[in-house]
Amino acid sequence: MGVALEKLPGIVERFPGGSVAITRLDQAINLARSNSLWPLMFGTKCCAIEMLMATGASHHDLSRFGAEVARASVRQADLMVIAGAIVKKMAPRMRLLYEQMAEPRYVIATGSCAISGGPFMYNSYTVVRGADEVIPVDVYVPGCPPRPEAFFWGLLTLQRMIREGETIREPGIRRKPVMAALPEDVTIHEIRKEIRGTLIDENVIDVEKSANEKPWAQKVREWIRKASSR
Amino acid sequence: MAGTRGLRSSRRALRQPSRPAPRVSRRRLAGVSVAQRLSGRVHAGAAEVSVQVRTLDELLHAPLIADSELTTQEYLVNMGPQHPIAHGSLRVVLRLDGETVKHVIPVPGYVHRGVEKMCEHLTYRQIVPYTDRLDYLSAIMNNWAVARMVEAAAGIPTNYRIETIRTIMAELQRLQSHALWWGVTGMDLGAYTAFLYGFREREIIGEIFEETIGARLTMNYIQPGGLMYDIKPDFAAKVKKLLPYLKDCIEQYETLLSGNVIFQERLRNIGMIDGARALALGCTGPILRASGVPYDLRAAEPYGMYGKVQFNVVVGAVGDCWDRYYVRLEEMRESIRIIEQLIDNIPEGPIATLRYNDDIILPEGLHYGHVETARGVFGVLAASDGTSKTPYRLHFRSPNFNNLWVVTAIAAGWRIADFIAIQSSLDLVIPDIDR
Repeated sequence: MGVALEKLPGIVERFPGGSVAITRLDQAINLARSNSLWPLMFGTKCCAIEMLMATGASHHDLSRFGAEVARASVRQADLMVIAGAIVKKMAPRMRLLYEQMAEPRYVIATGSCAISGGPFMYNSYTVVRGADEVIPVDVYVPGCPPRPEAFFWGLLTLQRMIREGETIREPGIRRKPVMAALPEDVTIHEIRKEIRGTLIDENVIDVEKSANEKPWAQKVREWIRKASSR
Repeated sequence: MAGTRGLRSSRRALRQPSRPAPRVSRRRLAGVSVAQRLSGRVHAGAAEVSVQVRTLDELLHAPLIADSELTTQEYLVNMGPQHPIAHGSLRVVLRLDGETVKHVIPVPGYVHRGVEKMCEHLTYRQIVPYTDRLDYLSAIMNNWAVARMVEAAAGIPTNYRIETIRTIMAELQRLQSHALWWGVTGMDLGAYTAFLYGFREREIIGEIFEETIGARLTMNYIQPGGLMYDIKPDFAAKVKKLLPYLKDCIEQYETLLSGNVIFQERLRNIGMIDGARALALGCTGPILRASGVPYDLRAAEPYGMYGKVQFNVVVGAVGDCWDRYYVRLEEMRESIRIIEQLIDNIPEGPIATLRYNDDIILPEGLHYGHVETARGVFGVLAASDGTSKTPYRLHFRSPNFNNLWVVTAIAAGWRIADFIAIQSSLDLVIPDIDR
């Protein structure tokens, strides 16, 4: 094992059979979670048309990212997309919806209204200046409204955060996806190279060599010689 | 479609549960001019029909008359603010007897942003983008209302090029809005495929908007005294290519959803409202026309290029959910007709008669401008003190606010599933109600 694998014992694990897998069960669970987000059917304003309806429809097709199962009940959903302005009358209801969602739950705030109040930031007496004053938000997608492609970018960011962040061993901790988690003198190319080398060493079989070494191969060869000399 | 219209008679022959009798208003309207009909209806509406305004307390404690022999219990059920049928965040309190709706109490205000108050701090140009955020499916037409109000009050001239492009854009957006509504209504009533087809056309029309305006939904295009951007050189060619495709799409809509027996059963003879009651409630747009009143601002008080093109005002017969559905489909065909007549002859000229940094100061008094959006009459009433660049007070007459109260008038007596069909056929946009 090379430098990279010794410095990253948590990520690279050996199988009893001899090969290596660069995963943990936590990460497998996170991978499954990130690719099966169930968004909540919750939109307050214009962004809902773009974020929840246009993305789910035929042209953009949210199901490519595994998040097309929009649920009307909060108890079945784990992703809340705040699409539109949150006013003071709606804020307690949104907080209630968030608390009713099953753990782990994720929140994407789309559009300027949900991020900061947007065009209603000044002189409005009802709009909450940003949904993160009420509930914690994981990903912000700016725009008024953002394009569906921008929302997909936000969704992919959230998926990356889920994959690399909170695990079932350490619940409640969400880390940002940063490459600085690797040791300084190790690059991702080194890791890939080493893993490829290890996998080749352990798993590639020389068919000719192994065939000659097998005990029954000697017998077959003798049998062929006898048959041909006859 | 001739075959499916014929299904109405067979449906009427079916045995129905006890429901309000349909009020046929079209027969009574025959033989008078549009103006006579309108004035007559308004007058008759004031004399015959009284829209009862009842307080919440009265509604909650009104005596309950059971409509079946089974022992039922009274329930108050909240629909919304987070509910798929709310199309946003509208809360509706239903007073139920079993599954029968007895009273409907809408509770708006979950998206109230105080736009009218904010507009007192904004110049007339700055008001325009905020109208996009009211009825976001008719953004361009809302802009036009502000532009009409300012142009009429300040005497700002426009030219034929501006008006033609405005009309074409408004009709394209009406097509887009109705296509979206068609898909969403299908989804509300359980036909998810309709949603996919409706959004397909929305995206195709949206591409034209995106090229010209740069936005997909909140399009801030029509300004007082002109347009924000000029159209692209290939705009007319693209629109002309689009129109035959849209005609095919509407035929597809008919074969896909209109002829479906389940869909028809859920819409026909459900939620009738007659013309007089609809007028008394102040509702406009396809809902009013579906109940037999041929009031369309584009025909009654032509603005833009509507006075110079041929189109029909589509009118329904009974005022049920099916009429509201079919009026919108026919309106899409009329919109295509209007665009066809205009798209070949877009005149040359400047796209703005006013420079963008010119101050606009309206004379002292009340000024009003209105247009027919995809949902009805959208009006802007501004009070100006004659000296400042901002309005002293501003009010939006939004079509959805009046259309919302139709549910209180007609939803009583129907089942919950019928209530879904009624609310879906009203095509409500909640931020327009709350403002």
